[in-house]
Amino acid sequence: MSSSTTATLQVCRECGAGAPLDAHFCAQCEKILPLGRHADYFAFLGLPRKLQIDAADLERRFRDLSRRFHPDYFYNAAAAERRASLERSSYLNDAYRTLKQPASRIDYLLQLEGFGAKGPAGTSERDAFSRASVPPALLEEVFALNEELDEIREARAGGAPASEWKPRLERARVPIEAKRADHESDLRDLSARWDAAVERGAPDAERRRILDALRERVLERNYISNLLATIQRELDAA
Amino acid sequence: MSKVVGIDLGTTNSLVAYVEDGAPVVIRDEGGDALVPSVVSVAEDGTVRVGREAERRLLTDAQRTAYSIKRFMGKGREDVQHEAEHFPFRVAGEAGGVVRIGLGAREYTPPEISAFVLRELKRRAEAFFAGRGEIDSEVDRAVITVPAYFNDAQRTATRDAGRIAGLEVLRIINEPTAASLAYGLDKRHTGLIAVYDLGGGTFDISILRVEDGVFQVLSTNGDTHLGGDDIDVLLMDTVLGDRPRSAEDVQGVRRAVIQAKWDLSDRDETTLNGQRFTRAAFEAIIAPIVERTIGPVRQALADAGLEPSQIDEVVLVGGSTRIPLVRRRVGEIFGKTPHSELNPDEVVALGAAVQADILVTGNREMLLLDVTPLSLGIETIGGVVSKIIMRNSTIPASGSEMFTTAVDNQTAVDIHVLQGERELVADNRSLARFKLRGIPPMPAGMARVQVQFQIDANGILSVTARELRTDVEQAIEVKPSYGLTDEEVERMLLDSFEHAEADFEARLLIEARNEAESVIQATDKSLRHPEFAAIEKEELAPGERQKIESVAAGLRMVLNSKDRETIQKWTHALNDATQHLAEVIMNRTVKAALSGKSVDDV
Repeated sequence: MSSSTTATLQVCRECGAGAPLDAHFCAQCEKILPLGRHADYFAFLGLPRKLQIDAADLERRFRDLSRRFHPDYFYNAAAAERRASLERSSYLNDAYRTLKQPASRIDYLLQLEGFGAKGPAGTSERDAFSRASVPPALLEEVFALNEELDEIREARAGGAPASEWKPRLERARVPIEAKRADHESDLRDLSARWDAAVERGAPDAERRRILDALRERVLERNYISNLLATIQRELDAA
Repeated sequence: MSKVVGIDLGTTNSLVAYVEDGAPVVIRDEGGDALVPSVVSVAEDGTVRVGREAERRLLTDAQRTAYSIKRFMGKGREDVQHEAEHFPFRVAGEAGGVVRIGLGAREYTPPEISAFVLRELKRRAEAFFAGRGEIDSEVDRAVITVPAYFNDAQRTATRDAGRIAGLEVLRIINEPTAASLAYGLDKRHTGLIAVYDLGGGTFDISILRVEDGVFQVLSTNGDTHLGGDDIDVLLMDTVLGDRPRSAEDVQGVRRAVIQAKWDLSDRDETTLNGQRFTRAAFEAIIAPIVERTIGPVRQALADAGLEPSQIDEVVLVGGSTRIPLVRRRVGEIFGKTPHSELNPDEVVALGAAVQADILVTGNREMLLLDVTPLSLGIETIGGVVSKIIMRNSTIPASGSEMFTTAVDNQTAVDIHVLQGERELVADNRSLARFKLRGIPPMPAGMARVQVQFQIDANGILSVTARELRTDVEQAIEVKPSYGLTDEEVERMLLDSFEHAEADFEARLLIEARNEAESVIQATDKSLRHPEFAAIEKEELAPGERQKIESVAAGLRMVLNSKDRETIQKWTHALNDATQHLAEVIMNRTVKAALSGKSVDDV
């Protein structure tokens, strides 16, 4: 367990006893605890803040916790407990959905560690990155692609048949798809490096370097996805 | 203890079930019939009839009889304009408001009509429990099912119907998921299940993973306007010409095409409109409807990230899955024979009863984890929707959005909540508009109001808001776009109490008398039928008419007594005595309708 979470406590509103932040039930009175504002998805699921997650283990934790505080089982409970069950179940479902996919898992970790590629979750700033300027590492590809797209659009406006420009679009896609595959592979490597750093308690400076690299790759990967979507739109417009 | 039940409130039929000794059981009437047709007829004197009796009145008093009301639940007046012509009753309501159904002089909202059906089911269940000598036979709590693809307004309308019927609605659950619960009972299986549910008016497809007793829905899709009704309308179009007909004649034709549809589930051919009608011809007509279910099936599989071949078991639900073409197509898509061991009409109610039992007993053997079928979003600048909770998110689910102010000292913000998958506001379903008030005056852009959207385990939305700089909870008044306000529901509930309460026994006596009178009237009408002389000569047994007349005279004698049981005994006797005659007349009516002649012309 990452050391950053154990110091914080939450308080049972039923009996006033303290409980660790990642506890779901009060150890003293056994009542379900209200969801505090300082929880995080990893701690909530009893997982370390690592990026490689065993899918079967995540599923099992999700099912076990669902069985502990789903609203079905609090139908006859007091209002405060029903509310806590609803909040905890909603939070569990969000946590499960977010951590299930590697992409959203990395986004979430970055945000949690203050390296957000997006604005705070659930705010309208979250789409900010998609309008961001071209990542420096992609300048060359973007320049080449834009030139090619311009020529293709011109040819199309001049009445060129699809058989002429379609293959060009398909060809333009190839290097960008290769770039995306590189990025996915980089992200996997960086994820493994992050996990190793967490495990051996690496110093903050090293962790920050990994997170910086992750953040950069994520922004580029997202930009690449947008480029591919643009090509697809051109193809579909035919 | 009062009783808890599970209710399948269907487009065509409804039914009620409960759990006894850990197993769900459907409640039947004395004749063994589990289905209550979802039909409500309001006679001129205000008497309300529900179920089979109301269904019969479609042939005699069509304009005062409502069916397929589920199609109108949670809908606005404009939504149903194009199909209102298919129904004999009046479809009304203010522009921009909730649909209203006109039956005679009065207008009812769809939840009020559905509440009549629910009250009938409640009564049937209570009579059943009382008949077994239970001390407290009252049924006051229920789980009610809805199509998985129902939106927030349709779910809320269903919950309102339950409240108007005097039921505490423990939970609204999705029909395909309920069906999977019922199937999961006898077989403790693990695996991926697809539930294909084609009912009278709606189509759902749900993909589930079942493991350790947790029924987790991975994705759902569907069409809340696709079902057996659409097949009936297509068939009716082939029979009915352009000639104007009475509403009753149209209903005669409707009955005939439904019978032909049923016939062709077991046979290769039947007769319709006096002509040979083959299964091949039937399938050619309905193929486009069956094909409309395929798109949602593929989308649900894609959303779950699965190929059809990965599905371990396919379950069929809903009466329309009895159609061989439907079974064949589903089998083709998944490459395996679908399950149909349980009665497709009853399986949903059984699952609802299981869920009701889980809620009241806290039984943790099984757990249902469902999803929200449609994405939830809010309107942003330029009429574009910003999504906050994505479709197929496990419920309960929450999401939040930060709002700020555009001008200095602005104290309120308008928010428009929508449901659907499209980009533009105009293409999605408007759920509600509300005004966020009480924002402390400050320079433009400084306020930070966090609006929290919570979808509960019923799939129903609630909204709260908080200004983060002051940490003040904001007041929110939600005006549903196509629903009833809480006050309206309260008033309808009170209305229903005024009509229903009083002395229970007195009410039963009045009902028994009403029933007796209506049977006497129907008998008189049959005996005065313009063709009666021919009917008696050609089709009745010797002495049949005399027997009917003497039983009718007997019932008239006891009618004004206070002895309810005797009245009922004679009523049943008269019903039995006239049953054959009623069938003969019905057949003639249907035949006349099919041949294009109005009964009155005969």
